[in-house]
Formats: sequence, structure tokens, C-alpha cells
Amino acid sequence: MTDATYASVYFSYFLFFLLAGGAVFFFVRSLRDGYLGSDSEEPKFRMMQDDEGDLPTNSRRTL
Amino acid sequence: MAVQPTLASAPVAAGQDIHQDTTVKMFLLGAVGYFAIVGVIALIIAAKFVWPEFLGTISYFTYGRMRPLHVNGMLFGWLLAADMGLAYYIVPRLCGVRLWSEKLGVATSILWNIIIVSAIVSLLGGYQKGLEYADLPTPVAVLVVIAWVMFGVNIFGTIATRKYQQMYVSTWYLMGTILWTAFVYLTGNFATLLPGITGVNQANLTWMYTHNAVGLIFTPAGLAVAYYFIPRASNTPLFSHKLSMIGFWSLAFVYVWTGAHHMIHGPISQWLQTISIVFSVMLLIPVWAVVYNFIATMKGQWHQLGDNVSLKFLMSGTVFYLLTCFQGPMHSLRSVNAIVSKTDWIPGHAHMAVLGTFSFMAMAGVYYVIPRVFKTTLHSETLANWSFWLFLIGGLGMFTALWLGGFWQGWQWNNPAIPFIDTVVALKPVWMVRFLSGIMIFGGIVLFMFNIISTAIGAGQRQAIPQPVAVKA
Repeated sequence: MTDATYASVYFSYFLFFLLAGGAVFFFVRSLRDGYLGSDSEEPKFRMMQDDEGDLPTNSRRTL
Repeated sequence: MAVQPTLASAPVAAGQDIHQDTTVKMFLLGAVGYFAIVGVIALIIAAKFVWPEFLGTISYFTYGRMRPLHVNGMLFGWLLAADMGLAYYIVPRLCGVRLWSEKLGVATSILWNIIIVSAIVSLLGGYQKGLEYADLPTPVAVLVVIAWVMFGVNIFGTIATRKYQQMYVSTWYLMGTILWTAFVYLTGNFATLLPGITGVNQANLTWMYTHNAVGLIFTPAGLAVAYYFIPRASNTPLFSHKLSMIGFWSLAFVYVWTGAHHMIHGPISQWLQTISIVFSVMLLIPVWAVVYNFIATMKGQWHQLGDNVSLKFLMSGTVFYLLTCFQGPMHSLRSVNAIVSKTDWIPGHAHMAVLGTFSFMAMAGVYYVIPRVFKTTLHSETLANWSFWLFLIGGLGMFTALWLGGFWQGWQWNNPAIPFIDTVVALKPVWMVRFLSGIMIFGGIVLFMFNIISTAIGAGQRQAIPQPVAVKA
């Protein structure tokens, strides 16, 4: 039996592999940059730094 | 005696006052306005299910025009615009720099408004491509591509000039959103129109686009928003940045392959169906990584839900995310799919994803950001709480009715002894519940819009109220 392999399947799977290839490339780069290493928790503390010290206090009380 | 508030007396960070936020304001206020306008359309559609003759003789209000307007309006007019506005707020702050170009951002916002108004006019006039989520006429779709490139250049330009080498996970998700959207949008709106792409071929590409529009556009954008605002709104660092990166990469590898599960038992190759099922089930990995991280972040902080509207929306959105991403893999299984496919279960699932999860997260962001960019206080926290409960109760009513109705509908469809029209009549009570739930949701939208617009309009007035003087340490 011949499988009906549509043009769209080729097209979409070309895109899939392109995206997967890109993901592999950037994943490896992120490993090299230490995103899963010992310093990987640093960004979560840095993002808590307050850059809005000029706000009225009560606007930050609950929201 | 001088008041010395604790928060305002904290050392001022280097990034203070560097953000202009004009683009943020324009995108968010526009998005909130479109949310209300398209909410009316949603209500009309829900009414038409119960009373099919309602506005039936007026061509502009026929179901065939209202439904694409509702879908595209909510996706692009409200949710994507809100996510873009929040991205313009989040990225410069995470990078510790100004937005790369405020002028480009303003131009993008103006173009986006032209797109949405063009979409409303063309869809109401019946000019559409007739493809799911890709109804916009080609010239309008081209404008979307141009606007997206402008958005991408600005965000990547900002990231390229960042102060810190390691990026927070929200930045990763937003970069992913921009790149993935490029592939996904071009596929759904242009590749589907290529010569020879008709019939099943077109359906295959359309479902790749449609499912990935949720999975690779609204999911990463929504998670970027949640990863930023859950720690900020709760004033608690994220549980694990490493786990968040695992979630991000697993989403990047898994999601793109799942679209074909919309055509299970359809005329596409069995191997394609099986691949989509396998990857759909694998989606549980990134979902658990995300949900566990959010819930673990809230450990010891749940009491904050009592008086923190943003957190209410964020954590409800998290629960809906877990539910919707459990539903997705389960109904991609052949046995379950045989019952629920093409039934009301699917819009129930889609509404829980787009409204219950990602709109909740976006609303949390809007409630958090608008007072800050206008340097004022929220107009009314009471109204914000009311809007949350209306959304939650209305949403639950609608989702539940559609899931149960969908199962019921599917069982009836699987019984050849039941005439099709009988299955339509049988669903009327379900659609009535959906309409009543829709009224509650629309009430939530109106309160949300009124609160946000009032906050923006009344900003100058409230600024004039004497505030506690900040005392530097």
C-alpha cells in the first residue's frame, strides 16, 4: 500500500526540522553560557531588583 | 511628621526612571478597548446559538462574519496586542536598558491599530480567506508580518544592548514567541495559499498553524508574562530558574509536532497522526515543569491571594493551564478523540486556553503594569476583584458546559440511530448556559476596561494627591 504523502507534509516537516535544528543550536549555546550550570539561578534574583522606586507606596501594596 | 514608607525608601536601582513606556501604554490601552468591542461580538454569537434567528437578516451580523471577527479580534486585537504591550514593558526592565526605539514602538502600535480596524471592517464586510485563525485578507496579513518584524527588531535590539549576560526565562520565551510566530504565521496565512495546496494538504498546514498559534505564539508569550509577574506581584523569587529553562527547551522541542492531532481519524497518513499523538502526550513534560515552578514559587505566599488581584488572575491561569494541557494530550488519544473531535468540547478546551489561561495572565499583567506606567494607583481594587470573580465564575460555567455538552454531543454523533438535527436541539440547554456565562464574562470585561481606562484617565488627578515622601537610605 502506498502511503499518501502530501506536499504539505513535506513542507510542514521541513519547517519542523528547521525549528528543531534551531532549538538544538540555541540549546547547546545556552548550555555553554551556563544556563543549566551553577550560576543559573542568578537571573531570578536580579529580576526582583526594584526599578520603580518612585511609585506611590499604596499602588504596590496589593497589586 | 514625615511618613517613611518601607518600599519607597529602598535603595533606588540603576534602572529607575529610564523607561518612557509610551509604547506600553498605547498597546495595552488599545488591547483593552478591543477586548470590550470583541466581547460584544462574542455575546452576539453566544446568543445566536440559543436564538438562531437573532439579527439573522442583517448580513453584517450573520454567524459567518461574526465568528471570524470574534476569533481574530480576541487573538490579535486583544491577546496578542496585550502580550506585545507587556513585552515592551518586561524586556527593557529585564535587560536593564531602555527600549531600543520608542519611536519604532509607537509606529508599531499605530500600525497594529490600523490592522485591527482593517480586520474589523473587512471581516464584517465578508472579505476573508475562510481559513481557521487566518481569516484576515492577504493585504491585512502582510501588514501583520510588517508589524511583527518591527516588533521583533525592537525587542531583539533591546536584548542585544542588555546590561546582563544571562537572560531571565521570560526573555527566552519572548524571543521564542517572535521567532516561532514568524514560521507559524507565514505557514497559516501564505503557505496555505500556494498552488497545489488544496483540500487535505491545506487542512494539514492550517492545523499546523492553528494549533501552533496557541502553542508557539500565545503559550510562550503567556508564560513569559506569568514568569515575570508571579515573582514580581508576590515579591518572591522564582522557585527554580534552572527548571524554568528545562520547561522552555522541552516546549521548544515538543510543541511544533502536535498540530496534526486535529485530524485524527481523518484522511491524513496514520504515521503523521501517531507522531502528533506521541508529541501531544510529551507536552506533559513542559507543562509540569512550568506549573510546578509556579506553585512552588507560591509556597508560603498563598495568603497573598486574598488582596492581590494580579496574583488571583495569575494563579487561576496556572490552574487552567494545567487543566487545558492535561485535556490536550488526553483528547489527542484516538479513543477519546473519536468522541470529542469536532464537538463543543473543542471550543471549551480552546476557551480555557485562550481565555482561562493566557487572557487571565495578560489581565494580571495589565492590572500590574498600568498603575506603574501611569505612576498612579489603580482606580478601584474592588472593581478589579469583581472583574476577577465574574471572569472566573463565568469562565468555569462556560468551560464546563462545553466539555459536558461536547461529550454528550460526541456520544450522540457516534450513534447512527439519532438524526443529526436531534443532536443540535439537544444541545440547546448547554448553549443557554454558555450564553449566561458569557454575560458574566462580558461583565468582567466591562469592569476590567472601565478600571483600566479610569486609572489611565485619572492618573494626573491622583498624582496630585500628596503621597508619602520617599526617604533614601
